[in-house]
Amino acid sequence: MTVNLLQIEEFLCNLALKKVGPIIKSKSGTQKNYNLKTGSKKVDIVTVIDKQVEKLIWETLRSEYPNFEFVGEESYIPGETKVTDAPTFIVDPIDGTTNFVHDFPFSCTSMGLTIDKIPVVGVIYNPHLDLIISSSKGNGVRVNGELFDYKSKIANMGELILNKSVVALQPGSAREGPNFITKMKTYTNLLSCDGGFVHGFRNLGSSAMTLAYIALGYLDSYWDGGCYSWDVCAGWCILKETGGIIVGANPGEWEIGVENRSYFAIRGTTDDTHQDKKEYIKKFWQCVEGKLDYN
Amino acid sequence: MALKTTELKEIENTIVKFLREEIGPLLKEKAGTKFDSYKDKANDVDLVTVMDTKIEKMIREFLAEKYPSFEFIGEESYIKGVTKISEKPTFIVDPIDGTLNFIHGYPFSCTSIGLTEYGKPVVGAVFNPHLNQLFHASKGNGAYMNDTKINVKERSLVLQKSLFAFEGGAERTDAKGTNFDIKMATLRNLLSENSAFMHGMRTLGSAALNMCYTATGEVDVYWEGGPWAWDVTAGWCILEEAGGFVAGGNPGDWNVHVDSRCYLAVRGGASLKEQKAFVSEFWKQIPAPLKY
Repeated sequence: MTVNLLQIEEFLCNLALKKVGPIIKSKSGTQKNYNLKTGSKKVDIVTVIDKQVEKLIWETLRSEYPNFEFVGEESYIPGETKVTDAPTFIVDPIDGTTNFVHDFPFSCTSMGLTIDKIPVVGVIYNPHLDLIISSSKGNGVRVNGELFDYKSKIANMGELILNKSVVALQPGSAREGPNFITKMKTYTNLLSCDGGFVHGFRNLGSSAMTLAYIALGYLDSYWDGGCYSWDVCAGWCILKETGGIIVGANPGEWEIGVENRSYFAIRGTTDDTHQDKKEYIKKFWQCVEGKLDYN
Repeated sequence: MALKTTELKEIENTIVKFLREEIGPLLKEKAGTKFDSYKDKANDVDLVTVMDTKIEKMIREFLAEKYPSFEFIGEESYIKGVTKISEKPTFIVDPIDGTLNFIHGYPFSCTSIGLTEYGKPVVGAVFNPHLNQLFHASKGNGAYMNDTKINVKERSLVLQKSLFAFEGGAERTDAKGTNFDIKMATLRNLLSENSAFMHGMRTLGSAALNMCYTATGEVDVYWEGGPWAWDVTAGWCILEEAGGFVAGGNPGDWNVHVDSRCYLAVRGGASLKEQKAFVSEFWKQIPAPLKY
């Protein structure tokens, strides 16, 4: 099957800009009645709009690409839904749901496509900032439709060094237990002057926006666990097109797939052999205390 | 003799125009372009200082010409232990807030210009040119984001359902009882399901913008120790005009001043009684006072 990736990217951009974005923008901060996905976890939020938007995306994609598979946050069934080798749309209708409920302007829609489980198209649209970042494998990255000159950006950023980098961190919705403790200890190690002593950390509350911001060269890396394929698929494609890489959050996990549930994303650099990134990753992993495990 | 509401509005308008036309474009053009020289630390600190100093000088000269009788305190010209905020109208200015963001090109650096009278914030303007967000207010005249009045919807203010802004800060000595240790312990309490279990944490890397995002209600609360008067004065005025409330960052500190260095800012859209109850609940999460 020959697939025109650029055409799919354009299709997803139109869908994001014309149909999905306006809904997210108009409904942000209006949802007082949200549900809690996991019952006992009072911070794992989903709204009726998430479900509506996913349905809209799914129906639109199904009529245009009837042979492609579809994985969405709202239709996902734990233990059953699997990403296969077939062309698969992986979609988070609204990434940053807590932002959406609070009207913090970093909720977005995130739509990706994998083929052979590899992200090959990615579109992220934040309607609050009216910022759309899109890419497809081999075709570079576009910001609001204009080709993004990531090479110049990277050349201006200088070396990738742990104690000079700004790292994105998100505590997530698990707020006790081993994963939470691993995160808190690792944050302390990263910030401490006796540890990684990173320049700073930032948290936008949206994995997709964070990956997009790394691709744009605003941040150096992003370490997280607890996310799903739909949180990272689109951003992964975008980041990769700017020379960035994604490995596992735990030490030694050099090769991971979109369903890994824990991730460490690193921006592109001028070193195409990735040697500098590997050094950075190793130093970062030394700050990871414990293991993130979501299986 | 206090400045009149109309005079404050005129000052606000003047600052807003100046930020939008003169300062914002400069900040936007230079953000993220200093990184290369950052490799050489001594050299780069100089380069950032050059920008900071240049912008502060532009602002100081502009304000001195327009308001010659007002005093001026800026981040770059501040002298620790010497510079004091008097009762007189005093501009308190941070030429570039979120310096690290500025260096890295993360789009949350801004310029913050505040005015105090009798030590209290009465005018504030904060401009983030990267996202084209200009927050501004003056006492008695309401708060605005660009041309839109900030109108925080009335809604309940409950710790567990709140989004909080949190910064790691520059002080990073990881030993028992240090400010860093207290901040990390507080962060854990704010997040833990056995404690406050709040909705979520956000980190922008700019105190002035955290204050503004609290003013708009996009975050519910901002807690921090370490900022200086120029980081918070403008945002404080904007927050208060949008119905928000500022308490001290340490438990029991209801009488906070712009130079207290430790703050707890709470959004509007709730009564003062609710805000104070919220502050008391928040303070319970702080295991020991921060020291500055």
